[in-house]
Amino acid sequence: MTKTRIAIASALAAAVTAAVVLPVAAQAQSNMEKCYGISKAGKNDCQTASSSCAGTSKKDAQTDAWLSVPKGACEKIVGGKLTTG
Amino acid sequence: MPLALPDLQAAFAAHVTGRDRADLVACIVGDTISADARLRIYRHHVSHSLSAALAATFPTVQALVGEGFFRTLAWGFMAQTLPGQPVLAEYGAEFPAFVAADEPARDLPYLADIAWLDWALNVVFHSPEGRRLAAADLAGIAAERLPLLSISLPEGASLIRSRYPIDRIWNASQPGASADTVDLGAGRTDLLVLRRGDDAAFIVLDAGEGAFVAALAEGMSLETAAEKGMSAEPAFDLSTAFARLLTLKAFAASQHNLEG
Repeated sequence: MTKTRIAIASALAAAVTAAVVLPVAAQAQSNMEKCYGISKAGKNDCQTASSSCAGTSKKDAQTDAWLSVPKGACEKIVGGKLTTG
Repeated sequence: MPLALPDLQAAFAAHVTGRDRADLVACIVGDTISADARLRIYRHHVSHSLSAALAATFPTVQALVGEGFFRTLAWGFMAQTLPGQPVLAEYGAEFPAFVAADEPARDLPYLADIAWLDWALNVVFHSPEGRRLAAADLAGIAAERLPLLSISLPEGASLIRSRYPIDRIWNASQPGASADTVDLGAGRTDLLVLRRGDDAAFIVLDAGEGAFVAALAEGMSLETAAEKGMSAEPAFDLSTAFARLLTLKAFAASQHNLEG
């Protein structure tokens, strides 16, 4: 085995040993984001507002087309405007 | 002149996504509600339903740009891509690429990466958890064989590599987030998106870990992946990173993984 492979092998083996004995509590500091919770479940229900098929709305849906500018949390993201390059 | 069924269906699909089809209107019988108006009800219904489905799948994109701009994006996307199957949760796979190419969204260069993150969370949320690789599964394998193993990510899991701090952007976009700003200059992020119990989750990786996981996801051996990690980040600590990922159950326990 090459020197690098020996180093990698022992690092991996040490990781396996450490992970076997590591308390589950260590996961709490693991920089993990839980994202949905159960609120996300069942979102494929037919979640259509009844008004859209009530016959009263015969106009096309409003899309704000070209007039629209983003108006959300993006105001909080700073320092990178127009840096597409 | 009635249209043949396939032509009628194609005309209807085109009409509901905003392309007016006079030949279709001519096929519809109007009474107190004109044929035109009847068709607009369907158009509205389709656009509203699909827009709502996209908003449910891409909640962070919508939070970032607001409902009005999101509807514009959704409507533009729908005109190009209708669902190819009946499960609304599977609609929108092409949406991140659409956002990346969208002219008005160019001012928000991180938006497409956020769309990829939302999509990855959606996919993994609807994937089975599967059995995960535990450290104990590897404990019986001789150390010199470990570098030769190829281990894979769990089903549905994915790695999102962004030039932007998308974990912070994601956090700032959640309901109830603080008003603190996020500096785009904070730089790149790698996120490993995977299912955890009943939830979808992501793990923030550093540059070395990101290169390591990316290589494993491409089917490379642990040895090659370790070398990729070290070349991406000279300070990459293989032992700590691998222990952390094993503890987080970030790999699948497939037979293939254990046989190397």
